[in-house]
Amino acid sequence: MGALLQYLVTGVGIGCGYALVGSGLVVIHRVTRVVNFAQGAFAVVAALTVSTLLTAGLPHGAAESLAVLLAGVVGLITGAVAIGRPGTTPQAALVVTLGLGVFAYAVEILAWGDQPRSFGGVPGSVPLGDARLQSHYLLIIGVTAVVLAGLALLFARTDVGRALTATAANPYAARVVGIGVTRMGLIAFALGGMLGGLAGVLLTPVHQVSFDSDVVLVVNGFAAAILGNLSRPVLTLVGGLLLGVVEVLVAGYLNSSYQTEVALVFMLAVLIVRAGRHPAAVEAS
Amino acid sequence: MKIAVTLLVAAATLAIPPLLSASQLTIYILIGVAAMATVGLSLLLGYAGQVSLGQASFTAIGGYTAALLAIHTGYPWLGLLAAPIAAAACAALIGVPILRLRGHQLAFATLALQLILLSVLDQASWAGGAIGLQGIPRLSFGSMVLDSDVAYAYLAWVGVALTMVVARNLVGSRTGRGLRALATSEIGAAASGVPVGGYRLLVFTVSAAFAGLAGGIYAFYVGYLSPGSFPVLLSIQYVVMAVVGGLGTIWGALLGTAVVTLLVQLLSTLATRPDMPDYAPAVLSYAVYAVLLVITALFLPRGLAGSAATRGRKADTWT
Repeated sequence: MGALLQYLVTGVGIGCGYALVGSGLVVIHRVTRVVNFAQGAFAVVAALTVSTLLTAGLPHGAAESLAVLLAGVVGLITGAVAIGRPGTTPQAALVVTLGLGVFAYAVEILAWGDQPRSFGGVPGSVPLGDARLQSHYLLIIGVTAVVLAGLALLFARTDVGRALTATAANPYAARVVGIGVTRMGLIAFALGGMLGGLAGVLLTPVHQVSFDSDVVLVVNGFAAAILGNLSRPVLTLVGGLLLGVVEVLVAGYLNSSYQTEVALVFMLAVLIVRAGRHPAAVEAS
Repeated sequence: MKIAVTLLVAAATLAIPPLLSASQLTIYILIGVAAMATVGLSLLLGYAGQVSLGQASFTAIGGYTAALLAIHTGYPWLGLLAAPIAAAACAALIGVPILRLRGHQLAFATLALQLILLSVLDQASWAGGAIGLQGIPRLSFGSMVLDSDVAYAYLAWVGVALTMVVARNLVGSRTGRGLRALATSEIGAAASGVPVGGYRLLVFTVSAAFAGLAGGIYAFYVGYLSPGSFPVLLSIQYVVMAVVGGLGTIWGALLGTAVVTLLVQLLSTLATRPDMPDYAPAVLSYAVYAVLLVITALFLPRGLAGSAATRGRKADTWT
C-alpha cells in the first residue's frame, strides 16, 4: 500500500511536468493553430540555464524564476520567426518550429556541451502512513496546480486573456474588433515558452536533462494534449497525469524499460481511436 | 531535352567515383543512401501530403533485416533483397491504423513509432541491444565480393536510379494522378473515385521500401549497426533534405540531399581544423539543418527545384 501511494505521487508529479509541456502546446495551438515542435526545447533551455545560474551562486528560486523568464523570451523569439512573417501557414510554421528546435541543439551544445546535466531539487521526504513521499514531487504538484489555476484565471478574467480567447475562437472577428492577432500569437508563444520552461525546471532534479531530451518531452506533452485535441486545458492535465501515473506504475510493477513504450502506445491508441470515431474530421487546421 | 539532362546527370555521376579520394567516396555513398530515403519521403510529403517524422525507422528496419540475414544465413544478397521488402511489409502493417491520422497527428505518431522501435532495438538481445550488430559481412553475389568503396558507390548509384525510376513511374501513372488529387483535396479526390485509403497506404509502403533499401546498402557498407545509427535526428535530416530540394519533385529530393550533405561536409571540414573546439562539427551541422529548414519553409515553399522550375517557365512542373 505504501509503495502504491509512493508510485502515485511520483506518477502525478511527472504527469504534472507533461501537463505543463502539453499546456504550452495547447495555449500556442489554440491562439495560432501552430503545433509547436520547439516546445521541448523551451524546457531544455530553462533547465540548462538553471544549472549554470546555480553554479554561479544564485539561490534556488531566483535561478529558476530567471530561467523560466528566459524560456518565455525564447518562446517569443520562436513565435516571431514562426508567425511573424505575414502569410505563413500553420503547416509552414510547424516546419519552422521543427527547424528552430534543431537550432536550439546547436545553441545548447555551444553553451552547455553535450553531456547530461542535473541539479538538486527540494531535499527530503514527507512521511505519510508507511510511505515516504519525496518532497520534490509534492513541490511539482503544488506549483503545477497554482500555475494552471492562474492560467485559467488569466484566460477567464483578464483583458489579455479574453483577447487571446477571442483570437482562438475567430481570428477574423478578433481583428475586426481591434485585437492584434499577431501580437496575441506572440503572447501565446511567450506563455507557451514559460510553461515549457517551468516543466524543464521542475522535472530536471528528478530526471537529468541533455540537449536532446526535448524529443521525449515534446512527444509526452503532445500525448497529454492530444486527449483534449490540443485545445482543452483540463483534458491536457488529465492526459498528463494519466500518462505519468501509467508510466510509473509500469516501471514499478512490471519493467522499467517498458515505460516509454507504454506512454507512446497509449498516445497512439488515443489518436487512432479518435480518428476512427470521426472519420470525416479531416485535419482542417 | 529532359531526357538529355537525365542522361547527362547519369553519365556524370557514373564517371565520378573512380576519380574521388577515399573520404570523398564516403560522402558520395552517403549521399546515395540518404537520397533513396529522401526520394521516398518526398513522394510521401509531396504527393500524398503526409508528414512523416519517422522515415529513419524504415531505414533501421531495412538495415537490421539485411544485417541479421547476412549474419545468420551467410547469403548477404538475400539480406539486401529482403531489406526493402521487410520495410515495406512493416509499413503496410503499421500504415493501416496509422494512416487514419492527418497532419501534425501523423507527424507525432510516426515520431512516436520511431522512439518505440529504437527502445525495442535497445533491449533486443537478438539485435545486439544497445551495442548493436558488429561484423556484418560484406555484400557478395556468389563469388563476387563487393569490398571496395568504388563498388559500394556504384551499388548506391544503382539503388538511387532504381528508386527514381520507380518513383517516376508511380508518379506518372494513373495512381500518381490520383495521389496528386488527394494531396490537394482528399474529399474531392474521394468524390472523383480515387481510392484514398489504398493510395495513401501504397505510397507509404513504397516510401518505406526505398528507406529500407537505403538501410540495407548502408549496413553492408558500414559493417556495423546500432540503434544509435538511426536517431530521430536522421528522420529530421531526411525532412530537411526533402523540403530544401522541393517536396514532390523527384529530382529535388536528389538535389536537396546533395546540397545539404555537401554543405554539412564542407562546414565540418572547416570545423575539424585543430584550432576549432571538438564540438564545432555537431554545432555547425545542427545549425545548417535548422537554418536551411527555416529559410526554405519561410521563403522557398517549393524548395530549390520547385523555385528554379517556376523561374524557368510558369508551367506547373511537378515532376
